[in-house]
Amino acid sequence: MLVVENLHAGYGLSEVLDGTSLEVRSGAVVALIGANGAGKTTTMRAISGLVRPSRGRVLLDGAEVQGMEAARIARLGVAHSPEGRKVFGPLSTEDNLLLGAYRHLPRFFGFRARAARDLDRVYELFPRLKERRGQPAGTLSGGEQQMLAIGRALMARPKVMLLDEPSMGLAPVIVQEVFRTIRRLKAEGVTMLLVEQFARSALEVADYAYVMERGRIATEGTPDQLRRDERVLAAYLG
Amino acid sequence: MPLSIYAQMTVSGALIGLIYALIAYGFQLTYATSKSINFGQGELVMVSAFFSLTLVDLGLPYALVVPLGLLFGALLGLAVERAGVRLALEQKSEGWILLTIIIGLFLFSAAENIWGRDDRPFPTPIPSDAFQVLGVDVTPLEVSVAVGVFAVMGLIELLKRGTLLGKAFEAVANDRDAGELMGISATRTVMLSYGLSGAVAALAGILVSPITTVGPTMASALVLKAFSVAVVAGLDSGFGVVLVGMFLGALESLASFQLGSGWREVPGLLLLILALAVRPTGLFGKAVIRKV
Ligand SMILES: Nc1ncnc2c1ncn2[C@@H]1O[C@H](COP(=O)(O)OP(=O)(O)OP(=O)(O)O)[C@@H](O)[C@H]1O
Ligand SMILES: [Mg+2]
Repeated sequence: MLVVENLHAGYGLSEVLDGTSLEVRSGAVVALIGANGAGKTTTMRAISGLVRPSRGRVLLDGAEVQGMEAARIARLGVAHSPEGRKVFGPLSTEDNLLLGAYRHLPRFFGFRARAARDLDRVYELFPRLKERRGQPAGTLSGGEQQMLAIGRALMARPKVMLLDEPSMGLAPVIVQEVFRTIRRLKAEGVTMLLVEQFARSALEVADYAYVMERGRIATEGTPDQLRRDERVLAAYLG
Repeated sequence: MPLSIYAQMTVSGALIGLIYALIAYGFQLTYATSKSINFGQGELVMVSAFFSLTLVDLGLPYALVVPLGLLFGALLGLAVERAGVRLALEQKSEGWILLTIIIGLFLFSAAENIWGRDDRPFPTPIPSDAFQVLGVDVTPLEVSVAVGVFAVMGLIELLKRGTLLGKAFEAVANDRDAGELMGISATRTVMLSYGLSGAVAALAGILVSPITTVGPTMASALVLKAFSVAVVAGLDSGFGVVLVGMFLGALESLASFQLGSGWREVPGLLLLILALAVRPTGLFGKAVIRKV
């Protein structure tokens, strides 16, 4: 499904990713954990095309997508829910969701009807969003904005979803809700790459996990294997 | 009798003000997607007017001249985006300010060389014999300005509000990267907005030419007024530019009638200074103009 091979990328002259490789199989939830500044967000940005990799390959269903403009990669079915959520503040909740489905909706007319089923699904998952459908997204609470960011990514009916720190800055109760949602999406078969500060919770939902250090994958394995790894235990699950 | 003269001045001034509004709307269209504007917009108005006049001279019917003129303006807009704006935006620099001014200067000398420096009349099939509405003389030509401006602005606003593409425009304006993650190409959105803006400039040229004349300097005053209107109304309110444009046009016409034609430019400048002092973001707008 999604394969990243020996990826190098950075900002200007500073290289952040120094040969990252990982794989997300269809239907799997894969966690990417690591310290602040390890390069997790940069990995996601390099996959979705927001930063251009200088070397290496990104394969989506076997086809190379690295180097394409981000919009094109998104239209191919990579839905990246970025760090900090990045909802469209002045637009309504519902317009945000509709834009999530941009890749398979008609541009001019009839898009509402075509999006109706996906909207219902997201509203069923997040009833709060339905209550706030007409409200500018910028006025939603942090938790609601996170649900909107996940909902917006789901609207794309993505082949693979990239979730960057969905629990960032949220109250513990809301964090639990986010993880419940992720579990439910996993049960529905959504393929996900998940970056999380809450490594323990991430390992509970993941099928497989990578540990990133200074732009490379330092360790990888099933959650059980990682939980038995002394170093991982000490550094990330302590 | 004097009262009806004031009414007359107000109406014909306001109609010219609609041209300011239309050009200002062209600024808004590109500002909305890219926070950039074409400082050579006046030259787009002028060159498109010359191009349309050439088509008229070639004997093409008006019904064909208008769409071809608009198409030409759109292509010019695209060219400005490609040559003057795209690279600067990609590098997050303000280089587009200088580049669009330079492209404008280039178009200006090109026009002088191709079409000469003389002002020329723009023949149109729309009659200019006045008829009376509530005691005020109005010409079909003036009516065509109002109809053209409202039709095009109305159509674009409807598309912006009612279509997914319009929402995509707003999304890109709000957060370029997040828009890309939805599959919306920011580059193409900006291109489209420059194309539209060019077409709008051409329309302004075609509508105003029969009333003024066509010449290399025809748009230099217009575009300054349009800029004032955009600044006063704010760079994000189409409704605002129409109101402010009509108000300014009427005020100018009354001032030059009452105080002499030398006073014509004064209300616009006063309005600009006053507005910037009171509300730097524009009376109707939220956008902040940086640096310009
Ligand atoms: N836009 C940028 N320009 C320059 N350097 C950047 C930029 N974004 C990130 N970096 C640098 O790249 C490195 C990796 O950052 P990245 O955001 O990928 O880490 P991360 O693993 O996501 O960290 P966190 O857990 O804090 O989100 C950091 O040293 C950071 O300073
Ligand atoms: Mg990060």
